[in-house]
Formats: sequence, structure tokens, C-alpha cells
Amino acid sequence: MDAAALLALRDPAGIPFYPVVFQVLYVLTWALHIAFVFLSFGAMGLSLYGTMKQKTNPHWKILTPHLIQTGKISVSILIVLGVAPLLFTQVIYDPNWYVANTLSGMWVFIFVYALIVGYSMYYWYYYANKASQGGGRLIGTISFAILVFCGILMHSFSVTSIMPNDWMNMYAPNGVIDTSGWTFNADLFRLFFMVSLSIPVVGIFLQNYSQFLSTRDDFSNDFIEYTASLGTKLSVYGLVVSAVIFVAWMFSANYLFHPLTLITIVGVVVLLYLSAKNTNSYITTGVLVVVALLISAIRELIRYDIMQQLGYNIYDYPVNLDIPSLLMFLATFLVMGGVGVAYLLTMAWKVGKTQGIFDGSKDRLVTKLGNYTLAIMSAWMIIYFGWGMTILFSNIL
Amino acid sequence: MDIIGQFPLFYFPEYGSAWMMGITGTIHILASHTSVGAAMLFAFLAYKAYKENRTDLYPYMKKYGMFLLIFSYVIGSISGPGIWYTATTASPNGISALIHNFVWVWATEWVFFIYEVIGVFALIYFMGKIDNKTHLKLTYTFALASVGTLALIIGIISFMMWPGTDAYYITGSASDAFFGINAFPHMFLRIGFMIMMSGVIGLVIASAMRKENLSLANELTKKMGYISILGGFITLFFFMWYMHTLPDNAHAVFSFTKDEIIQSRILLTIIFSVYFLLAIIKPNYIKPSIASFMIVVILVAGLWPGEKLRESMRKPYVAGQYIYSNQIISRDVPGKGIKSELPILEKQGLLQSNPFIPENLKVITDENKLAAGEILTKMSCSNCHSLEKTGKYRPLHEKLHGMDKEGIKGILYAMGVGAFPYMPTLPLPEHEYDAIAEYLASLKY
Repeated sequence: MDAAALLALRDPAGIPFYPVVFQVLYVLTWALHIAFVFLSFGAMGLSLYGTMKQKTNPHWKILTPHLIQTGKISVSILIVLGVAPLLFTQVIYDPNWYVANTLSGMWVFIFVYALIVGYSMYYWYYYANKASQGGGRLIGTISFAILVFCGILMHSFSVTSIMPNDWMNMYAPNGVIDTSGWTFNADLFRLFFMVSLSIPVVGIFLQNYSQFLSTRDDFSNDFIEYTASLGTKLSVYGLVVSAVIFVAWMFSANYLFHPLTLITIVGVVVLLYLSAKNTNSYITTGVLVVVALLISAIRELIRYDIMQQLGYNIYDYPVNLDIPSLLMFLATFLVMGGVGVAYLLTMAWKVGKTQGIFDGSKDRLVTKLGNYTLAIMSAWMIIYFGWGMTILFSNIL
Repeated sequence: MDIIGQFPLFYFPEYGSAWMMGITGTIHILASHTSVGAAMLFAFLAYKAYKENRTDLYPYMKKYGMFLLIFSYVIGSISGPGIWYTATTASPNGISALIHNFVWVWATEWVFFIYEVIGVFALIYFMGKIDNKTHLKLTYTFALASVGTLALIIGIISFMMWPGTDAYYITGSASDAFFGINAFPHMFLRIGFMIMMSGVIGLVIASAMRKENLSLANELTKKMGYISILGGFITLFFFMWYMHTLPDNAHAVFSFTKDEIIQSRILLTIIFSVYFLLAIIKPNYIKPSIASFMIVVILVAGLWPGEKLRESMRKPYVAGQYIYSNQIISRDVPGKGIKSELPILEKQGLLQSNPFIPENLKVITDENKLAAGEILTKMSCSNCHSLEKTGKYRPLHEKLHGMDKEGIKGILYAMGVGAFPYMPTLPLPEHEYDAIAEYLASLKY
């Protein structure tokens, strides 16, 4: 694809703010999304192992349903977090996004319904396991396989999107147009690296789980130590495996000695050290988030370079500033999102730390955050209608 | 040569690709409307339970909440991005236009989604783990967040129909595009439907509780009957207002099936009024099987034809009355610096302007005429029509039955000057009309 064609594929409406902002938002939100992808796959996979030991091993009796629940909630969160990078990528990389989707239209359709079936079956697995210990293994395995398949499809869309030189061959091999939407591509090192990260992520999750529950009297020390040690093993071995595949991927992509790759390798080594020591898993998690951001940045770097070499530079995207809608987003994201999510997470933290019923009405912080959230949301609604009516009246009267 | 922003074409044989979006959209509407309605109902029930100290309501809420979580949030949270995805494959330029106009609105909606998704788990799993007062406050914020998602998406999907004034075309402002003349009636029409759906789902849960607690089940069945009637009335009331805010091309399409649609809507109104009245007068008669069946009736007889109609009424546009369903930009939007692509097509044709046409098809010859005609037909028509002789979805064989090449050309010439208000104006060079007509005639409809 030459530059003229790629530039013609940009939306003629331009973009409503500077491209670098969308790029940063993309890197940030993709990192959050992928962190929950890793956690969900890791928790699901480990829970399936747990169903085999659940009946006989008292630790797995407690741990398995918790892993199933973690996987279940993580899938919901990864879906909602995944919406944002999809949104931001198609603002600045619209040629890549729309070409990949149309070339793989049939797979896109299959992806949506496979995800619905796979996730619904995961609830079935949850209930089956709740009804009888060790139950639902078959359903859980099928659900896991379907969800991994969805992950592979998503990988294919990403890979296709960064192959602009091959798009014409995919669409019209030998000059014969193929409108079937069955295009599928894979980059195995990249795929295996992404999948492999599920292991260390669930390992670090287990370290957090152990640290979090260590203050509760209703969980034995044996159990706390067991989960911490299991988490350490998974994170250490998993990180070594992931690091080897990462080096292979970077080598095959010619980015092995890029400064960003080297910083990521340092990040992984720090992560390995922290998770092996396991003195404070919350700090390890913080480093994990940084490493996830670095991986997200490397993906973006590869894409940026490919497009830039073809004459498509996102920083040249025409800008049509739209300040009111930007202000709405910023205010909602920072004020409502910040306070609201802090309210939910604070409450979740305190509920998890409490044996019995947590009385939020007597907790100053939870009460304040709840009141603020309610007030901010109510004010948001008033502003929305006020703004809407002002615009409407000025346009029609 | 000028190049226009056309993407590779995806075509689903026998149906076309737009129906995929229609199916996903219908499923999503059922799930998402249920979820917002249920969030409002949940807040109402939590208020009653807390204020009147009705502890018996909490188990009902828990059951309702689990249904809400599994049905609406699992299906809704996937089918929502799913519409986006499937629409992208069918109408990449249409979706791109929405994204580039409303990216910050969508990003704002995403903030509400995050609150909703974390909130729904908190709402259900914290029941019995936190005090009722805190839980009540949580239900209020959850309901507001749910309504917030509606408030944010409604302007975008209303813009798909049209902004209703010239302001957007002049300023290019997202606010002028978002708050068009049909945004608010559309919003309240949907709120009415959401309230009704919350009652309809509530009837399934209430009737399923009869064995455990007969008096509570009957009380809730009655309440759900009242809520459903209220929702149904709001839906009908705002539907009438909404219809008056639609453009002429929408009414032109509507007029084809107006009598049939009015009849079916009257029939549905009668059936559901009887059903809701039965819930109020004889709650014992509402069984889980009947209540579940009525959801299927709403999906098949209400939502699917309703969504098909809404999509048809947008024709020939797919977004903002400046992008045709065949992905061609049909008018200038000075506020955004957008230029109509019709003059380029008139001069160069589609084959020379589309960057994804292979070299061997760019110039029509006797050898490639049928292949060129096929891709031209797909690019021009397949977003709305299936092309095969056995095509199922708005099939061309029904429209062109028995026509020869010259007859088909006559229709194409008429389209070239915009003779049909519900069809795109398609001014192509003579040789491209000829190739399309030859290809379609070769199918011998």
C-alpha cells in the first residue's frame, strides 16, 4: 500500500484533538485491558487444575472457587477495558483497523458470538462447580478453549492490521477479489509471548491474594503460605518462560536492541527479583503494571514504525478541535470516574477485609465517597440536559 | 487520479453483511434495555426494602440481580462492542464517521461502563455483606450510571438518522451533531421501553418465586404489571413524538409498509396490555413459561422488525445524512472540511477511485467485464441487498425479476440523478453502468 492510498483511508472529518493524546490513551488503556486478559486466562486455567484437586486437597477446596470467580469477573473487566483501546486505535489508525476488520469480517462475526457462548458457559462452569466440588470441569474446559480461541482471533486482527504491504494480496490474490472475510494471520512468537504472560500474572495475583487474606482470621496460616508459595513458583517460572519468548519475538521483529526493549527486559528482571523475594506483592504489582505499559508501548512502536515507513504518520493527521466534548470526557473521567471507581474499590477492599457484615454507613471514607459519587452523577445529569437543551434551542429557534 | 477512502468489501453470501449487524443489534437492544431498566427497578426495590424495612424483598433482588448480571451484562457487554465490530465489517466508513465525530462522547460513555461493570458485581455480591443503607446508595449510583450510558449513546444513534438542522454541517461541532432534533424523543422512547422491559423480566423472576413465597410473588407480579404498563405507555407516547422528528426519506420508506406496521403494533399493544392486566388482576396466571415466552415475542415480533425498520428508514444514508449505506460521501460538510465524493465518481468511476481494486480490474475490457461488474455491484448495492438468485435479505432478484440489461441500465441511470429518495444517488461513468447491468443481467433473475 502506498502513502497516497493509506492517507486517503483516513477519515475526512479529521480528529477532534492532537493525535499524540489518542496514542498515549491507546497505550495506557491497552495495558490495562491486557492485564485482565492475562489474569482471566491464568485464573481460568489454574481453576481447571484446581477442579482435579478440589475434592481431596483442603487448600484447593478454598482456592478453586475463588479462582473461578476471579476469572469470571476479570472477563467482564477485560471486555469493558478493551473498548477503550479499540476506540482510540481507530481514531488515529483507521486504515489499519477498518482494513483488518473487513478482510476478516467472517472471523469478526464468529468472534462476537464465540465470546458470548464462551463467557456464558463460564457462568455454567461457575454454577456447576458451586453445586459440587470438582464439578463443571468439562464445561469449564470448553469455555476456556473458546475464550482462548477468541484471544487468538483478536491476535489475528492485530497482526493483519500491521501488514499493509500484504493487504492487496489478502483481498485480491492474483487479481481475484475475495470478499469472504476469512483472512487469518498469526505471528507465533508474539502470540505465545502474550499467552505465556498469563502464568506470571496469575502467580503475582496469588501473592496478592495471600497477602490480602493474611489479615483475616478465618483463613489458616497454612493456606496463606501455600498460596503465596504457589504464586511465587508460578510467577518466577512463568516470567522466565515469557522472557525467553519475548527475546525471540523482539529478535524476529528486529527490535531486540531497541532502548524500549532493553528497558522492558530490565523491568522483567526487577519483576523476577521482586516476585521471587515476595516481601510485598503490592509493590510487585506496581512494577507489573509498568512492564505491561512497556509491552503496550513496544506494540505501538512497531506499528508506528511500519506505518511511518510507508508515509503514514499519525502526527500529521488533520485536527478539527472539539473542545466541549473533550471537556465532557475529561471532567467525567477525572471527577466522576476517579471518585466513583475509588468508592467501589474502597468498598470492595473493606468488604474483603471484614469478617461478617461491613457497615459502610459507619465508615467515614466510604460514606463520603458514596455521597460524592451520587452528587457528581446527579450534577452530571443536570449539566447534560442543560447543555443539550441550550444547543437544541439555539439550533431550532 | 483521485483516490477515495474505500475499504475492502466484506460480503456474506445470500444475506449481505448488514444483517449481521442487525442480528447483533437486536440482541444487544434486548440486553441493554433490560439492564438499564433493571438498574432503575433495582433502585426502586432497594428504596422500598430499606424505607419500609421489607427484608423479604432482598432475596428477590438477589435473584433479580443474578439474572440481570448474567443475562444483561454478559450478553449486553459483549453484544455492545459486538455491534460496533460487525457494523465495522459492513459499514467501515459509517462507523468511522461516528468515531471521528464522537470519540470523546464514546470515551465518556466508557467511564460510565467501567462504573457499571464493577458496580454490578458490587451490587449483587455485596448483598448481605454490607449494610442496607450503603447498599441503597450503591443502587442509586448504579441506576444513574446506567441511565448515563443511555444518555451518551442516544445522541450518536440519533445522529445516524440525521442531526435535523444545518448547524452541524456548518460548525462541525460534536454538540450540534449530538443534540439533534430527535435525540430527546428517542431517549425517552427508549427509557419507556427500558421500564417496560424491567417489568417484563421482573415477571419472569416473580413468577419463578411462587413456590417459595406465594404472597410475595403475587405482590411483585402485580407491581411488575403496573411498571410494564407505565413503561409501555411512555414508549408509545414518545414513539409518536419521535416519528415527527424524522426526515422525509425516512417517511418515504415508512410509507411502503405503514399500514402493515401500524396493524402489527396495534396487535402487539393489545396482546401486551392483556398480559400486563392479567399480571395485575390475576397474578397467579403468570407462569415462568408464559413470562419467558413473552420475552421471545418482544424479541421476534417487536425488536427485530423495529430495528429493521429503523435501519431501513435511515436509507439511503448510514450516518448523519452525509454517508450513504454504500460508504460513499454524498455531500459537503464544510464545518469538518469534508467534500462530497460524487463528483469524483462521476468523473473517474468507482474502479479508478477505490484503492483496493486490483490493477487487472481498473480498466474494463471484454474479458474482465463480468468480474468488474460483479465487484461494482457489490460495492454499490450489497450493503442493503443480497445479490444471488437465491438471495434472502432485500434480494435484488425480487426488484429486477425478468429484467434485461437495458431495463437494469434504465434503473441505474435513474439512480444516477437521484430519482429515488431512499436510494443513493450514484453518478457513474457509462462503462461502469454498462458493466453493472451486464453482470446483473447475467444472473437472469
